[in-house]
Amino acid sequence: MFKFKKKSLIYTAIFVSFLLLFSILIPTLRTPAFEILKYPLGLFTLISREVEGIIFYHRNFVQNEKLKKEIDFLKKKVNAANEVYLENRRLKNLLSFKQKTHLKVVSARIIGRSADNWSSIVIIDKGSYNGIKRGFVVINYLGLVGRVIETGGSTSKIMLINDPGFGVSAIVQRSRQEGLVSGTLGRSLIMKYLPKDADIRACDVVITSGLTEAYPKGLLIGSVISIGEEFSGLTCYAIIKPTVNLSSIEEVLIIIP
Amino acid sequence: MKHFIFIAVIIIFGLLQTTILNYINIFNVKPDLLLISVIIASLNFQPVWAISLSIFAGILKDIFSGNAFGMHTLLFFVWSFLIIKLSRKISFDSDYIKLALLSIVVILNNIITRLIFLFLGNFISLGLFLRITFIESLYTALIFPLVLKFAKTRLIGE
Repeated sequence: MFKFKKKSLIYTAIFVSFLLLFSILIPTLRTPAFEILKYPLGLFTLISREVEGIIFYHRNFVQNEKLKKEIDFLKKKVNAANEVYLENRRLKNLLSFKQKTHLKVVSARIIGRSADNWSSIVIIDKGSYNGIKRGFVVINYLGLVGRVIETGGSTSKIMLINDPGFGVSAIVQRSRQEGLVSGTLGRSLIMKYLPKDADIRACDVVITSGLTEAYPKGLLIGSVISIGEEFSGLTCYAIIKPTVNLSSIEEVLIIIP
Repeated sequence: MKHFIFIAVIIIFGLLQTTILNYINIFNVKPDLLLISVIIASLNFQPVWAISLSIFAGILKDIFSGNAFGMHTLLFFVWSFLIIKLSRKISFDSDYIKLALLSIVVILNNIITRLIFLFLGNFISLGLFLRITFIESLYTALIFPLVLKFAKTRLIGE
């Protein structure tokens, strides 16, 4: 009985094999043959993969450890490359701005920030040896950043535009409405001393007026977010969003007059 | 010797405050490591050394800040002096009392700073002031136990 069964099984297998071979050789039967074979093939592949996994467990384990280490190494490399790419992009922007602008500028890197929470200052790696003096205006390719308040030999302190002690005469680009822009210590600036009937709207661009000494006219400061009335009711104020993201700047340009 | 180590620690704190702490700030507010060093110095060193170290920390903070020069030096000197006076009347042995003292000093320091700012004509909104004061005292208090533990084991030798 068993012998017959075994034999018949072999014959059936040979027959099926020939049938499949034949069907594969004939183009019209190829697609249905593959369709039929798809599921058993998948099952066999799965089983063989599992068996291989069990047999070669140790080899796979070692290989896995090695690959994990390689991934960590490559991740580090990708991060480093990404950092270099971002730095390159920033420096390219600075360089193109430096080439385009008529102003004489010195580029510097930010090396430190304010030690307290009540002032918004940064420390740069250029000082009086590089021709930087107190009061010089600091910009980047997006707009106004601040002004130099102290200089050492090879370092300088810059007061950012969002420092409460900062003030610059500014105008609304569209209507030429004048006002005084100063910092609030937060992420926004305030444009004060606007008349009650001032022609100013949200999204208006605010630039330097050139009235404050040392600040060239036309430097981009930011755009108007909202307008409000002062407590006294005599004047208005506008809240301005600076064009420069002051919390993430890494390189700046100092205008040499 | 431990005084000189503490000077080095103050310098490191100053450098940390201007660099790394900017990356781990909470809502743009960072802890005041230098004020922590003032409190630790005032509670653990001889009065002359404590006041000298506090003044040194204040000078360092003034160097790295954009405010009127001498403001932090003066404030740190006052806090150190008051803590020394107070420690003769009240016991600050418990770490919780030290933590409470630090929180009070941070809040008072911020209130006085805001008053100085108003006097100088720099207006800071009340909302922003409260946010900075609250977060700074909380954040500094969170850091304080770590610094205190380090100071106890390495500097004070308790």
